[in-house]
Amino acid sequence: MMKLDFSGLESASSHFHGVDSELVEGLSRAPSFEIPNTTNFDGFQKEAIQMVKPAKGTTTLAFIFKEGVMVAADSRASMGGYISSQSVKKIIEINPYMLGTMAGGAADCQFWHRNLGIKALKKECEIEYINFLTYPMGEEFIGISHMFRCRLHELANRRRISVTGASKLLANILYSYRGMGLVGTVLPYYVDSEGGRLKGNRFSVGSGSPYAYGVLDSGYHYDMSVEEAAELARRAIYQATFRDGASGGVASVYHVGPNGWKKLSGDDVGELYYKYNPITPRMVEQEMAEAAEP
Amino acid sequence: MSIFEYNGSALIAMVGKNCFAIASDRRLGVQLQTIATDFQRIYKIHDKVFLGLSGLGTDAQTLYQRLVFRHKLYQLREERDMKPETFASLVSALLYEKRFGPYFCQPVIAGLGDEDKPFICTMDSIGAKELAKDFVVAGTASESLYGACEAMFKPDMEPEELFEIVSQALLSSVDRDCLSGWGGHVYVVTPTEVRERILKGRMD
Repeated sequence: MMKLDFSGLESASSHFHGVDSELVEGLSRAPSFEIPNTTNFDGFQKEAIQMVKPAKGTTTLAFIFKEGVMVAADSRASMGGYISSQSVKKIIEINPYMLGTMAGGAADCQFWHRNLGIKALKKECEIEYINFLTYPMGEEFIGISHMFRCRLHELANRRRISVTGASKLLANILYSYRGMGLVGTVLPYYVDSEGGRLKGNRFSVGSGSPYAYGVLDSGYHYDMSVEEAAELARRAIYQATFRDGASGGVASVYHVGPNGWKKLSGDDVGELYYKYNPITPRMVEQEMAEAAEP
Repeated sequence: MSIFEYNGSALIAMVGKNCFAIASDRRLGVQLQTIATDFQRIYKIHDKVFLGLSGLGTDAQTLYQRLVFRHKLYQLREERDMKPETFASLVSALLYEKRFGPYFCQPVIAGLGDEDKPFICTMDSIGAKELAKDFVVAGTASESLYGACEAMFKPDMEPEELFEIVSQALLSSVDRDCLSGWGGHVYVVTPTEVRERILKGRMD
């Protein structure tokens, strides 16, 4: 019977030797999923993915500049043509100094983030074992599992995890989901579920990324002020939501500076359009009312 | 995505008191990419008959051109305009001619018939007519549109109220669809006038 590879999670238990045995038990019970009883496992997997179609309908971007890092994302979740939500949180707050973005199908990251991440992180060493029926809607699970791993690392080594380390962890987690079309970024790295991990200054991820790159690449220079960078990020997301059908909702912009991240703005894209393209009243050819005025 | 969802569209026609409204979205896309935000889907055949065509954009344009041709010939021969019921039959026949290689369109026909009685109907892509007394919808957002119209429709609405209801139903439905929206185009037709309005909608 096949099991998905969770050795990444298991290794945490070795750090807690000698601590409360109850705790160790909870950690060493390796999570596993039931595998469907079918002759053609690969074909079945492929069909299941196609059914859900994680079309990566989204736009997220992040770039490094003089004053730190700017991260922005839209907030639409779509399933094929249907919009399932206009208010999904796609920027994951890993710790007060690190943000990650997610691109994927209709995953309500916000719910799980609230339910697990905050609950678990507040209780220092108490980690709840939660059974997920996630496949293949695994984005939120990955986000939380990644957050756990970063936090565990922090507790074990009494030092915040480095960005290189966090991105490597995420890459390894995503590798188990190879071929399922998941992508993420932990700046300054770009990570995807084909196993790719690239280093760079600016990245955009999702179906709206070509449009965002157009604005981002042409307006970018390293020594921008925070306001200029925020406006660039906002404009890039707005442009992507205009052109791409699968992006929309609210354009959130975060700034990561030396003292941690701060959410700068969350603008409804519907209103941004009319701000950038104000409607001027058109010239009317025949105005009978005016002619009647003395 | 299916061929009907290639360009994306949303259409409604609704009946009021001695008037009707026909409305469409304005987006033309190629799957998820938006190409234009001023695409025309509703065409005037004559003062009292309007045709809306949802589905594949190229088929919609070609079908419209063929229908205008047939209607002009009719006008020359009969020296009068076509009644909406007759026009619907014409569309149905034209679509069925291509039964085994169809036009990927779903037309919505709306008009004022004898004694200015409002007439609306819709068809599938091979010409099956569906007449309705209250409203008809077509396009990628059709499920949302059905729900919105069902909830908001009232019989015997005056033109102003009808315009409000049709606009709200259209805009709220396309806001749940990735492939249609980017504005709206509404025609409200009474026996004496035609009012054309463009709606300001979410451009995402």
